[in-house]
Amino acid sequence: MPARLLRLPSRFVATLALAPAFAVMLVVYIGATGWTIWISLTNSRMLPGNVFVGLRQYESLFANERWQVSVHNLIIFGSLFVLASLALGFLLAVAIDQRVRGESLLRSLYLYPFSMSFVVTGLVWQWLLNPTLGIEKLVRGLGFEAFRFDWIVQQDMAVYTLVIAAVWHASGLAMAILLAGLRGIDEDIWKAARVDGLKTWRVYVSIIAPMLGASFATAAVLLSTAVVRLYDLVVAMTNGGPGLASEVPAKFVMDHLFERQNLGLATAAATTMLITVAAVAAPFLYWQSKRQRLLAR
Amino acid sequence: MMRRTAAAAVALLWSFGANVQELKAQELKAEVIHWWTSGGESAALKVIATEFTKAGGVWIDNAVAGGVNARAAAINRTIGGDPPTAMQFNTGKQFDELVEAGLLTDVEALATEGKWRSLIPEAIAKATTRDGKMYAVPINIHGQNWLFYNKAVLEKAGAAEPTNWTDVFVTLDKVKAAGLIPLAFSGTKTWERNLFNAVLAGKGGPEMFEGIYGKRDAALAASLEFKDVAETYAKLRGYVDVGSPGRNWNDATSLVIQGKAGMQVMGDWAKGEFVAAGQTAGKEYGCTVLSDKGGGYVMGGDVFAFPKLKDPARTKAQVLLAKIMLEPETQIAFAQKKGSIPVRLDLDTSSLDLCAQKAMKWLADKNQQIPAQELLSPPDLTGAVEDAISQYWNTPSMSADAFSAKVASILKASN
Amino acid sequence: MGSVAIEPQGRKPRHMTPARIGIYAFLVITALFFAVPLYVMIVTSLKTMDEIRLGQILSLPLHPSLDAWRKAWSSACTGLNCNGMQVGFLNSVKILIVSVPASILVGSVTGYALSFWRVRGATLLFGAMLVVAFIPYQLFIYPLVRVFSVIGINNSLIGIVVVHTIFGLPTMTLLFRNYFAALPTELFKAARVDGAGFLRVYWSIMMPMAMPILVVAMILQVTGIWNDFILGLVFAGRENLPMTVQLNNIVNTTQGERAYNVDMAATMLTALVPLIVYFGSGRWFVRGIAAGAVKG
Repeated sequence: MPARLLRLPSRFVATLALAPAFAVMLVVYIGATGWTIWISLTNSRMLPGNVFVGLRQYESLFANERWQVSVHNLIIFGSLFVLASLALGFLLAVAIDQRVRGESLLRSLYLYPFSMSFVVTGLVWQWLLNPTLGIEKLVRGLGFEAFRFDWIVQQDMAVYTLVIAAVWHASGLAMAILLAGLRGIDEDIWKAARVDGLKTWRVYVSIIAPMLGASFATAAVLLSTAVVRLYDLVVAMTNGGPGLASEVPAKFVMDHLFERQNLGLATAAATTMLITVAAVAAPFLYWQSKRQRLLAR
Repeated sequence: MMRRTAAAAVALLWSFGANVQELKAQELKAEVIHWWTSGGESAALKVIATEFTKAGGVWIDNAVAGGVNARAAAINRTIGGDPPTAMQFNTGKQFDELVEAGLLTDVEALATEGKWRSLIPEAIAKATTRDGKMYAVPINIHGQNWLFYNKAVLEKAGAAEPTNWTDVFVTLDKVKAAGLIPLAFSGTKTWERNLFNAVLAGKGGPEMFEGIYGKRDAALAASLEFKDVAETYAKLRGYVDVGSPGRNWNDATSLVIQGKAGMQVMGDWAKGEFVAAGQTAGKEYGCTVLSDKGGGYVMGGDVFAFPKLKDPARTKAQVLLAKIMLEPETQIAFAQKKGSIPVRLDLDTSSLDLCAQKAMKWLADKNQQIPAQELLSPPDLTGAVEDAISQYWNTPSMSADAFSAKVASILKASN
Repeated sequence: MGSVAIEPQGRKPRHMTPARIGIYAFLVITALFFAVPLYVMIVTSLKTMDEIRLGQILSLPLHPSLDAWRKAWSSACTGLNCNGMQVGFLNSVKILIVSVPASILVGSVTGYALSFWRVRGATLLFGAMLVVAFIPYQLFIYPLVRVFSVIGINNSLIGIVVVHTIFGLPTMTLLFRNYFAALPTELFKAARVDGAGFLRVYWSIMMPMAMPILVVAMILQVTGIWNDFILGLVFAGRENLPMTVQLNNIVNTTQGERAYNVDMAATMLTALVPLIVYFGSGRWFVRGIAAGAVKG
């Protein structure tokens, strides 16, 4: 380490270390977001243009039936997906933490879905959930003639098939994050709990889980970003169908950005998503900064 | 000393010669962005590339699967200031804004020289022309409203080859009675729209087709005839199997190939699947176009556009490439491998398969040429109509009246 | 600080108590849920297209063959060239080897700086990062293309590395910041009392303790960067196109015939690298690294 750096006050070095992040955020993210918001106020089609049209794109966006369905679907999908992935991830992490045999193999098994491109895994799930090819056909073939599992072809159930495939894809990651958190917990906690004679599962639920707050938060945020950006899976599994039943906002943005050559509408949709996220995140962050100030005392 | 100088001189001359070679090769370099990546498409593209190489060009391939991806990559490159030599689009309005922004170079000189306008269908020429100049070279015609059927299945069901959108229901009923899937269907938005367009072209007729998509006549969308088309379309719902939503189009073709389904309405690229399964047109499977009003072959296809380049050497490559694309030998060989038909209507097509020959015969009559939706509507309007059609198909409780009102309001909003 | 001992934790497992059986049962059932799609992919990749057309997705192949795998690697058509996916393999490796450490380094330093040090505007920066992580990154492509062409790093290896670092910044920062924030502050205070500065605390204390989260970061970045397609396509330049471009070309034909067996094989081949990383990362998923350090 260069000696002169050591002589600089550490807080200054900290600010310096944050400089690249600040720069990137400003130029790239804020800049690009600003550009996106500007374009949503123009009538741009395929190429960005500068003809200001006020809030016209937003008007047509909110009147757009497909957009309304997309938002509705995302709320359903989002809440189920995040809860299920966190729950399953936690259970898997705890189960693996019991020093079971074949831990490495199991961990890799739960993680491998995350490693594969959705284009093909989405197709596989489509096959598995298609009543003429997959699980329904299998179970009926075993003799249960009345068995039905055709959610993917039904308008009001298609969204739930997305949840199944997405949980399969992401709960391994949730498991990894929670496992990392678990392994960072002081072993003294365990010793104390044993002394108190608590059952293992009780320790997990009442003591360990609350201590994993930060890990849960990290996992929840990562999963939530996946929810808002959900696109590849929908295209590969149902392509938004049947009809509009499994449309989602990110797909709306992408379709209008590229295929339908309507930059104005696409950026209006993206800006709406952004404002919604900011509105949800703002109170949380405010609470966070208050907390930090309290803790620092 | 002398030897060294001599050696140096030889080296210099040789490198000079090599540079000239390089220069020559550099002169006719063409980087082409396209989305033809499957086995059949690749073989077809090779036809053009080989001809180009034979004529002294160097083909630099830049394939990106998924039309949307390829177009996005090409457009980004062009506006980023580093355009490719040629880029692929579908025949239609996808490159309108590039022309408006002055980023494309026109091929009008070539078109006049080669008398292209007299050789290709008028609708296609129109679709590639802006402000009186041709800005893209069409390379093929893909028919979108074919009906492919399994001969054995129809025979078993005792059904005849259907000819229009009325007697097709007789055939469908017979196949259903035989316990097989009447209509193999791929329940995704693109193919729901494709099926609707086939009914619109066949039952509604060329005038209605162009009236709705070209003139965007909202009153026409509210007319009784249009509602009639919508009802025929809705009736088809009863003939698809329960697994059709979300299914890939190839999986639907597969059902026909194996004899599990009677027929499929699909574009002529489906022939590739039949060929891959070892079947021949006219033997195991038949092909036809259903039409109530005496005709209508819905023509889509692909074109290549040429960005404006500063380097005169690369511009030469563009001219050479464009010329080669419309040469008779290239056209026939390409059509054979691709499953499309040549865009030039003056060629000897006896070497093409049965379906292609049928199509060429139909297209000899101008009244049979229907420009596809992409040639008439901008992508955004096509998308909005697609959403409406998909909703209609998947909502049995939705009436033809409601659907027709929806389409009318979409058309009105777009005007 | 002495060496970190890895002590067993929890009760010493007795053989097959009901609880233990329950755990294994749970693991087996969930393993099935996770494994079935993999099974379908594997058997499909070993079948011929004729067999696949029959639509029996769960059946074992009649005459299993590795033809599809060979084809995917070396002879599948990806455009005019029919050389399979091997073409882009080295490029993907190149991009991975530089981008992963770069993005993790920048992200971890940023996360560290945001967790312990009271810098002005830290919460604002963190909040902004959180919010932009939700934007579909495809929207940034056009502005970035313009910026990069001005700087001159379009279509280059540097360009794609910078892009991956930029897009990885929010997630990486979040990961490390939350992890460090959960560590006991006594650790940090003790080090400062000892006279350690910003960088020393980072390198000698925080990072060694961050092993588990480092593994998670690596899993995220290796997966994201290795499987990335659109950014590599737009920013890497034709000589550096990653393997995912060939994968896309094999798997994603719109109007061409689809060879499902080759598609499955190609996908699994692509997934091998992240899988090896997952499997090999086990060594660092050990416990007790953070524990015990406070007492030292």
